[in-house]
Amino acid sequence: MNLDILAQMVVSGALMGLIYALIAYGFQLTYATSKSINFGQGELVMLSAFFSLTLLNLGAPYWLMVPGGLLFGAVMGLIVERACVRLSLEQKSEGWILLTIIFGLLGFSSAENIWGRDDRPFPSPISADALNFFGISITGLEIAVALGVFLIMSIIELFKRKTLLGKAFEAVSADRDAAELMGISATKTIMLSYGLSGMVAAMAGILISPITTVGPTMASALILKAFSVAVVAGLDSGFGVVIIGIFLGALESLTSFYLGSGWREAPGLILLIMALAVRPNGVFGKANIRKV
Amino acid sequence: MLQVENLYAGYGSSEVLTGTTLQVKRGSVVALIGANGAGKTTTMRAISGMIRPTQGRVLLDGKPVQGASASQIAKLGLAHSPEGRKVFGPLSVEDNLLLGAYAHLPLFFGYKGKAATELAKVYALFPRLNERKKQAAGTLSGGEQQMLAIGRALMANPKVILLDEPSMGLAPVIVQEVFSIICKLKEAGVTLLLVEQFAKSALEIADYAYVMERGRIAVEGTPAELNQNERVIAAYLG
Repeated sequence: MNLDILAQMVVSGALMGLIYALIAYGFQLTYATSKSINFGQGELVMLSAFFSLTLLNLGAPYWLMVPGGLLFGAVMGLIVERACVRLSLEQKSEGWILLTIIFGLLGFSSAENIWGRDDRPFPSPISADALNFFGISITGLEIAVALGVFLIMSIIELFKRKTLLGKAFEAVSADRDAAELMGISATKTIMLSYGLSGMVAAMAGILISPITTVGPTMASALILKAFSVAVVAGLDSGFGVVIIGIFLGALESLTSFYLGSGWREAPGLILLIMALAVRPNGVFGKANIRKV
Repeated sequence: MLQVENLYAGYGSSEVLTGTTLQVKRGSVVALIGANGAGKTTTMRAISGMIRPTQGRVLLDGKPVQGASASQIAKLGLAHSPEGRKVFGPLSVEDNLLLGAYAHLPLFFGYKGKAATELAKVYALFPRLNERKKQAAGTLSGGEQQMLAIGRALMANPKVILLDEPSMGLAPVIVQEVFSIICKLKEAGVTLLLVEQFAKSALEIADYAYVMERGRIAVEGTPAELNQNERVIAAYLG
């Protein structure tokens, strides 16, 4: 076994895994406040990527495209909350599961009709040339992915810890009823979490598109793995998703190299099944013990 | 200050409150006592908007607030320290207190400075909270969590505080401490509606008291009157 190739596989897989982690983080945000997630999150990634590409094609500069794409994602997140989640949460039903799936299907067909079925390249100012670190080659795009993921996650975590609104976010996650008694509107906090989650999805789309190209199906494989990462790490695990994301990304890339690319999807699914069978709260999740 | 008129409320199809009427005057401490399942906690929850009353009125400072959400009612100046304390376990003691004043503070920055006076007042009343302000609230003892829940309710400078079973699950020594704090609040002129299973202790503090039975007020009066009432003595004070 060639150690250089092994290290190369692990590093490029891990960088890809950061995207899974970022999308999984988006699941966590809404799960924390409302115990619901958007099953159409992959389509949000894809729609935001298309929207950002359209901005670029219309002549928008890159510094405008990124906030524009993020804003689009946040607005889409708010639409999902209002259209698919709010009423079913009020009625304590699980209707949001079906509604968010339907929203995803709607987003998928809209994208096919608006932008077509073909995959398109996503231009990037960052060079795709490989840089060499100790014999491992990493492209500028991959470095941008890593930086982007850590940047947006750090900003959101700082917001949650340092501002009163962020603390209110945590309070609703900890005890929704008690938060309401403090004058914190749970509904508005859930809106906020969906907005942030949509923004995170858009960030994932903008970061990954220059590497994978943009197309209606670009996120269907991504989302399945992000979901595995979220469940394996635990939906309330915080930065646990980063570790599991990196792990899964590296594992996948090794699997496809040594067993053949047809096995690429296998590790994520096996991990998901194992986690659900053995540790349903996730590797980093907190067990549900309620202190009276 | 707080008036409850002919209130009906419950959970789903089961009605718990069947016409509760009570009143809390400004600066007074009113006790609400009664057997388990009489509807004391449900009364509190219906007043603060955690459940919607199906009939009747709740007046805060003369304005009807029934039907509003819990967060709206909290902003109007009603603080409810719920049964079981319900502190935000993962958050620090100080964050819990700051969130108590959430409705009056800026949402992003500078909130700590603006809450400094209230925070100092609460720390003066509960020095233990000051010692543990950085600690996660979930790691406090039951008594400390109760102090935190009361402190958190005080942070908003509310017009009325609803205090639900502050002695629940606490050791007798701590119960004494909790009651001495309620006495201090009373001296400071805080308006308080207190639900307590320790009826005797509650009556020692209260200016007025209501006894609940099966979802409505069965007997009411000053503590002196209730202490003479044979039915009350037999059921709750014996």
